[in-house]
Amino acid sequence: MVIKTAKEVPLIDLQRQFGGNLGEFGGWLTSMDYGNPMEEHLATRTSVSVFDVSHMGRYVIRGKKLYEFFQRVGSKDLRKFREGFMSGPILLLNDNGGIKDDVMLYYLRDGEWLAVVNAPNVVSDREWLESLRDRFGFSSDDVTINDVTATTTLIAIQGPKALDVLEELGAPSDIKDLRILQFIPKAEVLGEEATLVSRSGWTGEEVRSYGFEVWTSVEHGARIFKKAIEAGAKPAGLIARDSLRLEVGYLLVGEDMDESTNPIEARYWLPLTLGKTDCVGCDKVMEAYEKGVNKVRVGFKLKKGDRTIPRHRNKIFAGGTEVGYVTSGTYSPILKRSVGMGYVKSTHAYIGFKLQIEIRNKLHEAKILDFPMI
Amino acid sequence: MEDIIVKTKLGEYLVKAGLLYTETDEWLRKEGETLFIGVTDYAQKKLKYIVNVELPETGSEVKKGETLATLESVKSVADVYSPVDCEVLVTNEELLDSPDLVNKDPYGKGWIAKVRIKGGFKEGDYLTPQAYADKIREKET
Repeated sequence: MVIKTAKEVPLIDLQRQFGGNLGEFGGWLTSMDYGNPMEEHLATRTSVSVFDVSHMGRYVIRGKKLYEFFQRVGSKDLRKFREGFMSGPILLLNDNGGIKDDVMLYYLRDGEWLAVVNAPNVVSDREWLESLRDRFGFSSDDVTINDVTATTTLIAIQGPKALDVLEELGAPSDIKDLRILQFIPKAEVLGEEATLVSRSGWTGEEVRSYGFEVWTSVEHGARIFKKAIEAGAKPAGLIARDSLRLEVGYLLVGEDMDESTNPIEARYWLPLTLGKTDCVGCDKVMEAYEKGVNKVRVGFKLKKGDRTIPRHRNKIFAGGTEVGYVTSGTYSPILKRSVGMGYVKSTHAYIGFKLQIEIRNKLHEAKILDFPMI
Repeated sequence: MEDIIVKTKLGEYLVKAGLLYTETDEWLRKEGETLFIGVTDYAQKKLKYIVNVELPETGSEVKKGETLATLESVKSVADVYSPVDCEVLVTNEELLDSPDLVNKDPYGKGWIAKVRIKGGFKEGDYLTPQAYADKIREKET
């Protein structure tokens, strides 16, 4: 195995103290697991875990025309977006309607928003947004993006017992009243002010889980990570994060969607306001919506006990005919079998439809499931 | 001889004394004309958590350098190569239900197969624990 020179996440030494097994993702060296990712996955579903997700890109975005700008460059209508809330995922589309990234905006206050972007895109998203700023005649007074990834941390405390851990850490009691994607700015945790505490986490919060994320300084994040573990949270790494998101059907950019993917094919409805025509790529989304698409993203499970992992670009067959390809796969400790997602011809994309996945020259029986798969 | 713990900036890896090693991260223990074969602590840590193991049929013959078994983690797939021309005598079927034994105990309960050596065996074809430890250090600096 070749390890490229990746940057280390700020809390890497702390991660290692807790048994972090390091690997590279999106240009960062961080913990893939802490010994047993399946137990980390199950702890997130049944108890509580803590993830250092500081590899995610973070921006502070200031300016006088943030609303006008993001209305122009993002896939989602922001008219109802207001202070104290996250936007939910928003797509940055290229001019062909292909997906560059899905990003989360935080309305901190008028003139100051925050954003979380996917790790591999932390530089390219900013360049893209700045190019659009110029293209549409906005100035740096209107929109200025500061990348604060290296000087901040993002700690996700996830699972049905997440609130207990946050309470133990002295977080304000009103976090229990937070709605999904709502946050408290300047929330005090462990006697120190964090940038914010939000009810969010990418482990399936809409459907199957519950959790909070703390955006704060590096030193504060380190204290929170450590204390959360002492309060009973299981440290969890990116392998568990991946299997958790796959079970519920969240898409990973670069794997399940890229610049050649139209959001309609991806069935990525959450960030779309259909009929929104004033944003980059939105006309192409509408075109795909009206004309229909040739391939569609589906989830699938293998037979019980089949632990072979479907891999990116494995072929999908229906009988003797190739009908699609895999984009990601993992082992689900909940379903006790491998699961995955991929694209199949829209003529074959039915729930319950039987498929065969070719993995290392062998066909494995699979069945299409609706999301969430658990 | 004592076990060696190799510490690099990426992790810590146990290299057990009394075993021979291959360039491709297998360990072997010779008992008469048979060999026990497994993968090293370094290999399991690089692979990460193993969810699936494909074992050879007992009685099958495998040439040196050919695939003896396949280990699959969520992150990647790796072949375990046979260090000799051999016939497979026994495989560790416990791995089919508990593939993570390779992670938990790579030099013990996570063994892969016991084989009979067919043809020759030269100890000099393999790495000593010290030579293997040096190789890991080299890879990770």
